[in-house]
Amino acid sequence: MTRPAGILPTIPPGLRLAFATAILAAVWLVVLPTVGRHPAVDRHVRLMEACDVNPSAMVYTELEHLPLRPAWIDRHLVLWPTGN
Amino acid sequence: MAADPGADVHKRGLHEDSAAILIGVALVALALAIGWSGRPTEDAASRKAFPKGWPNRLAATIDKPQTWSDAPKQALVVIDKKDPTKVKPVAIPILLGMTWVVGILAAGTLLRGRSLPEVLPGACCLALLGGLAYLMAAQKVINYYNLEYPLWALLVGLIISNTIGAPKWLEPALQGEFLIKTGLVVFGAEVLFSRLLELGLPGLLTSWVVTPIVLVVTYLFGVHWLKIPSKSLCMVIAADMSVCGVSAAIATGAACKAKKEELSLAIGLSLLFTVAMMVAMPPFIQWAEIDPIVGGAWLGGTIDATGAVVAAGEMLGKNLDDKRPAEVAATVKMIQNSMIGIIAFAVAVYWAGWVDRDASGPKTSLAAEAWRRFPKFILGFIGTSIVCSWLFTMSPEFALLVDGAINGFTSRLRGWLFCVGFICMGLQTNFRELAPTLASGRPLILYCLGQALNLVLSLAMASLTFGWLFRQGVTP
Repeated sequence: MTRPAGILPTIPPGLRLAFATAILAAVWLVVLPTVGRHPAVDRHVRLMEACDVNPSAMVYTELEHLPLRPAWIDRHLVLWPTGN
Repeated sequence: MAADPGADVHKRGLHEDSAAILIGVALVALALAIGWSGRPTEDAASRKAFPKGWPNRLAATIDKPQTWSDAPKQALVVIDKKDPTKVKPVAIPILLGMTWVVGILAAGTLLRGRSLPEVLPGACCLALLGGLAYLMAAQKVINYYNLEYPLWALLVGLIISNTIGAPKWLEPALQGEFLIKTGLVVFGAEVLFSRLLELGLPGLLTSWVVTPIVLVVTYLFGVHWLKIPSKSLCMVIAADMSVCGVSAAIATGAACKAKKEELSLAIGLSLLFTVAMMVAMPPFIQWAEIDPIVGGAWLGGTIDATGAVVAAGEMLGKNLDDKRPAEVAATVKMIQNSMIGIIAFAVAVYWAGWVDRDASGPKTSLAAEAWRRFPKFILGFIGTSIVCSWLFTMSPEFALLVDGAINGFTSRLRGWLFCVGFICMGLQTNFRELAPTLASGRPLILYCLGQALNLVLSLAMASLTFGWLFRQGVTP
């Protein structure tokens, strides 16, 4: 081991890892699916799915649809002072 | 990100930065070459026919776990949105994605003159842990509330290091900095300068005036007023809050050689505030009766993460029955995304020339000193960005070639490299070093004050540009 584990020093390391893994498994397999069924959360998820949005996109290239200048901007906004 | 740029240079091999540049550039070139070799024979210049660029055959060699709600096995298939009976398995591309990471770690090891057999077992283990972090991030609630994969990659690493500790056999493969630097060189292909002009002058003013002001003021406030001892922590917090969240934090963190703990802290703060702002800002804009387009630009300029900006724009648009806020929000954020290269380069120059300068050391010219300390991999990052930007503007065909290479391969590969890089960081992170700063609450105060300034200035500039100066009766 590179360095002594930092928390709960009296519990054996293997048991600590098993305990942490059990908590993660419970959260991801039980708690989050339950939270996902809450009406407000479910509504948000459905809206995002309906709009084809990927909210976890880190940069624009990960979005479902590439953001390009919308046509209405060309029509209604003067983009450059010397332009149309 | 620790301040050891030359510490692990092996006498027989390349420097870490050189290996990252070589591998990153080779991967981008490979993606472009494969894209060109498979160029379509019909409608090759049509954006309508290829909205995400030309298909790239490398896309079949890499993917990540898909969103799942109840059972993780749902992450291994893509269900067609139009026809739910059509199901495409992605287990093999996910495994191949892990193989790319192992291959890149192996190539980096060889280029740096290290022992390959010592690295391979750890590299395989890290790739599997990266898959686990991606799987955690793909849970629907997590995914749709924008809690991005770096957070879970860090958590996985932290749990292992704080329970059993990182095993000895894993140590040679813990090359988080190398993976992140290589990922950033590959990421350069996505930072296209032409995107900066996508919204013309209003977009430029909203992004280019407010963002640098907020970045500089937040940094100076942290260093001089709050007296946070670590300048790199102030810079990473300022960048992730003012530019575009995690990706900006990674790029500037690497440019200013921030510690792993500092980058982890900044990313944690950013993601928590992103979730809160994504949920709270659309109803506030509606309640305050802010013009939808100004509101969209405001969302784009202030919410850190790109996906969360689009989500908030859609929420606002849905409430107002108007698509324009989401379109403006996404485009403003894309402009900010495109600023990462320039900002990372400026931070690297500033750090090398002024912050890291040793006043008691031998007197050399500022340029020579700055060059010696300059993180060279940033040149690879800027280089791929310039080449891909140039290709992108050459012709519609080349634009579709670049987009196809990014969407089909480099963007996914960069994600895997960052993910496994963050696993390594979690395995090597010691939050005890940051405990005094954390206990003082100053990083949180810095983030809050910087974000408050960002909110005020962005709203003022969005109102000035989109709401008044450049507006000519924006009515559908």
